[in-house]
Amino acid sequence: MTQLRYPMRLFFLTLCLLISAPLLRAAPASDWENSLVYLEVTRKTYEVLQPWTPKARTVQKNGLVIGPREILTTAEELSDRTLIRVQKGGRGKWWNAEVVWLDYHANLAILTASDATLWAGLKPATFVTGKPPKDGLQVVRWRNGNLETRKAEFNQFIVEDARLSFIQHLQLEASTEMQGVGWAEPLVAGGKVAGIASGQGGNNARFLPASFIEPILTARKAGKYPGLGYFPFTWTPVENPSTFKFLKLPGDPRGALVVDVPKTPAPEPNLKPRDLILSVDGFDVDNQGYYKDPDYGQLIVENLGSRRKFAGEVVKMKIWRDGAQTNLDYKLPKLDYSVKLLAEQTFDQAPEYLIAGGLVFQPLNIPMLRGFGEDWKRRAPFRLVHFAGEAPTAERTALVALTSVLPDPYVLGYQDARLLVVDTINGQKISRVTDVQTALQQPQDGFHTVEFMRGDNLRRIVLDAGQMDAATKRILERYRIPAASHIAAK
Amino acid sequence: MKYIFSFLFVLALLVLPARAADPEKAVVQIFTFSQEADWDEPWKFGPLRRSSGTGFVIKGRRIMTNAHVVSWARQLMVKRYQDPRPYLARVVFVGHDCDLALLEVEDSQFYNGVEPLDFGPLPKVRSTVVTYGYPAGGEQISYTRGVVSRIELQTYAHIGNRSLLGVQTDAAINPGNSGGPVIQDDKVIGVAFQGMPGLENAGFFIPPPVIQHFLDDIQDGKYDGFPSAGIRTAPLQNAAFRRKLKLPDDDRGVRVDSITPGTPAAQVLRPDDVVLQVGQYPVGSDGSIVYEGNRMSMAMAVQEAQHGHKIPYRIWRGGKEQTLAVPVEVSATDKVLGNQYDLPPRYFIYGGLVFTPLSLDYLKTFGRSWSDTAGAELTYELFYRRHESPTTLRSEPIVLSTVLADEVNASFRVRGRAMVDKINGVRIERLEDVVRAFETPSNGQHVVEFLPKNTFECLERTAADKAHQEILKTYGIQRDRRL
Repeated sequence: MTQLRYPMRLFFLTLCLLISAPLLRAAPASDWENSLVYLEVTRKTYEVLQPWTPKARTVQKNGLVIGPREILTTAEELSDRTLIRVQKGGRGKWWNAEVVWLDYHANLAILTASDATLWAGLKPATFVTGKPPKDGLQVVRWRNGNLETRKAEFNQFIVEDARLSFIQHLQLEASTEMQGVGWAEPLVAGGKVAGIASGQGGNNARFLPASFIEPILTARKAGKYPGLGYFPFTWTPVENPSTFKFLKLPGDPRGALVVDVPKTPAPEPNLKPRDLILSVDGFDVDNQGYYKDPDYGQLIVENLGSRRKFAGEVVKMKIWRDGAQTNLDYKLPKLDYSVKLLAEQTFDQAPEYLIAGGLVFQPLNIPMLRGFGEDWKRRAPFRLVHFAGEAPTAERTALVALTSVLPDPYVLGYQDARLLVVDTINGQKISRVTDVQTALQQPQDGFHTVEFMRGDNLRRIVLDAGQMDAATKRILERYRIPAASHIAAK
Repeated sequence: MKYIFSFLFVLALLVLPARAADPEKAVVQIFTFSQEADWDEPWKFGPLRRSSGTGFVIKGRRIMTNAHVVSWARQLMVKRYQDPRPYLARVVFVGHDCDLALLEVEDSQFYNGVEPLDFGPLPKVRSTVVTYGYPAGGEQISYTRGVVSRIELQTYAHIGNRSLLGVQTDAAINPGNSGGPVIQDDKVIGVAFQGMPGLENAGFFIPPPVIQHFLDDIQDGKYDGFPSAGIRTAPLQNAAFRRKLKLPDDDRGVRVDSITPGTPAAQVLRPDDVVLQVGQYPVGSDGSIVYEGNRMSMAMAVQEAQHGHKIPYRIWRGGKEQTLAVPVEVSATDKVLGNQYDLPPRYFIYGGLVFTPLSLDYLKTFGRSWSDTAGAELTYELFYRRHESPTTLRSEPIVLSTVLADEVNASFRVRGRAMVDKINGVRIERLEDVVRAFETPSNGQHVVEFLPKNTFECLERTAADKAHQEILKTYGIQRDRRL
């Protein structure tokens, strides 16, 4: 899915404010005036390669009153928040709010406000139940104090990566002339909520459908929401009759062919490469990896990992393995951002770093690579990007990089070293910044030896262990860095 | 008396070389008709291209020019100074790493009245030079005067992955100048070869040490190339590191940081050896030497040697100085990591599946951003695996470059640009393995496995055998292999 990234969305938002304000007309008073609130979120962001320097960022988005003292919005831009304010009626007073529940994987959050005056006159919205409507769809939001309502044309249901995670789940795509959509604007039909917006590319906006949201909220209310489950394995469609012959599958071509099963997570029983998934929870899977959903039509099999099922629950699979059909109760693993060698997200924690004698060590993760810009896959060093596709091992669960060297006489000769992945320090394998801290407490013969991963780059540097603390102190003062490290609590 | 003088004058003309006054008579214009290989569809060649460059006659009835002037040539024509007649020429030796080539003209009349040019020494910085050539394909020879700006190792753009000694001048060097002589004191002190985009008033020429290395190399009848050290060095300027190595803090010596696996250096040198001197050149802590008054990378000292020679290295190891004889070789793997010329790619076609070795030239068929996602695995395989995991390195990684659509392979999802892991259970180390693997008995189907995600495709053996010749015919392919 092509989605506009934050700055582009802001651009559209600003542009629309500039050019379309005179054209806007106040929509007739509707129930949405009493259910839709305007949110302002201020949060901390960090300079990726100078993680000790936080900055403030403020965004506006939408919230939907869904129950007593409960406002639903997307989780996007709520990490590292410092202030959330709510406005009703599109203008006037702001109320402070706080997050009471949030799930980044599902991109959903619930806010509340303690001031009772906020809730006066607000009315909870209700979700569409049953088969999702395809006609009469509208997108609603506050704009310049008025409620802006625009028609939306249903395009399709699709299963794609979530906005903030690599879980693939059901999303609704609709086209609308409203620009800058993606900030939790509700998609409504017949006075009910059919979805909330999570992104937009061109005129096509993406929405989390009500049928995806509602079971999560219900389970959360009951205190039984364990988080989303997902299929961590990789499969491929099979069109080649010769491949089915090779797999000794009789009858018509069918099934999704598993080609790669990661070592983690490892549910038991697990799938194996060259298994053919013939059905999941009673839904037959065709040779393109699609099943026919009674509510949404043809969808890829991933949706059955999140279709009214959560992490820890079992999906019943029929698979073709080694020339015979067998049943497999597949327990859906819970997504963990750190399951990959390069953690996908690091929400709600200031970036970790450690400065030792001018050497700046940081975890190598995707948020750090995103610091290279929108097209980080092209702009970041090739080797670092390539780690994103590699799996963790028992020996190395994560990576730490020497991201830069703060010039000082202590590190003379190493000032050009940067973006090198650390292998060992003083002979100890390094996976996390805490490993760096531990290893530096054990110098060898008065020296610290930092070894970098094999590659076409610098392999080794040596520093005087006895002078390191004094050098660190001097460097922190010279570069006005408030602390030598920030390491997240375990 | 007058007669005698005249006689002596004529005698002097006969005895003294005439070239001193007019070197342009030895300068020729070269017209090249070339056809490059197609690395994606390796049985094909690209369209016929016409280009021109410059060359000059040297001793031994040879014409020196740039390799890039004559690469992929189908036909070469040369024209002498102020002579309308074209002569057919052929390449005798070519060094793509140093961008030099020698041509010869069969018609002996070509050499009549042409005095070959001699080579001079490496020019001094700030001295004046004149380039001779036919820039922009003009009919008349052009002269441009300039000053030698600096002398150091330069990346040679033709091969792309080698840095050899190069001289920068502010004399204009434009397309068409390539291969032309750069003259100082009536001697050739360089061969014009490249400019640099974005750098105003800067042209580069190949200096005499590189030219002489090339001429010495071909004495045995074949060109080997410039050897590499096989080591990666790191500056040794940190006092703590020097102390750890028990090395005096005197700015001498560069540290061996890593050794390229499989090179002769790996048998002699070790990481953390400190190179104090290479040949006759003392090495500074930044890895530089002083060569003819110019400070430059110590790689220059290695490049003076010929392939297979040994260079004396003075090194510091275990707190003591010692001398080692380090063999240096031309790296075969360097070829696939750089631009390749004149040798069309190897390939093997079976059942419409086209297999060819992975190389930089192949990756470039992906377009300018070849290292992006589409080519990431292949990029890693070609450039990084040799350093990071030399034990898993394949001697010649093979890709399925394309699938020639036919009923027998119509259902393949993998349509090309995929790294081949195994065929019928045989791990594919080089192209010959592909041929052997398809000949391996299989259970009715050939199974082709790809990296990195273990995808595989099956091909009906009988049907593929049957369709093979017809596919070649359909696509106009004369031979199913070039091994």
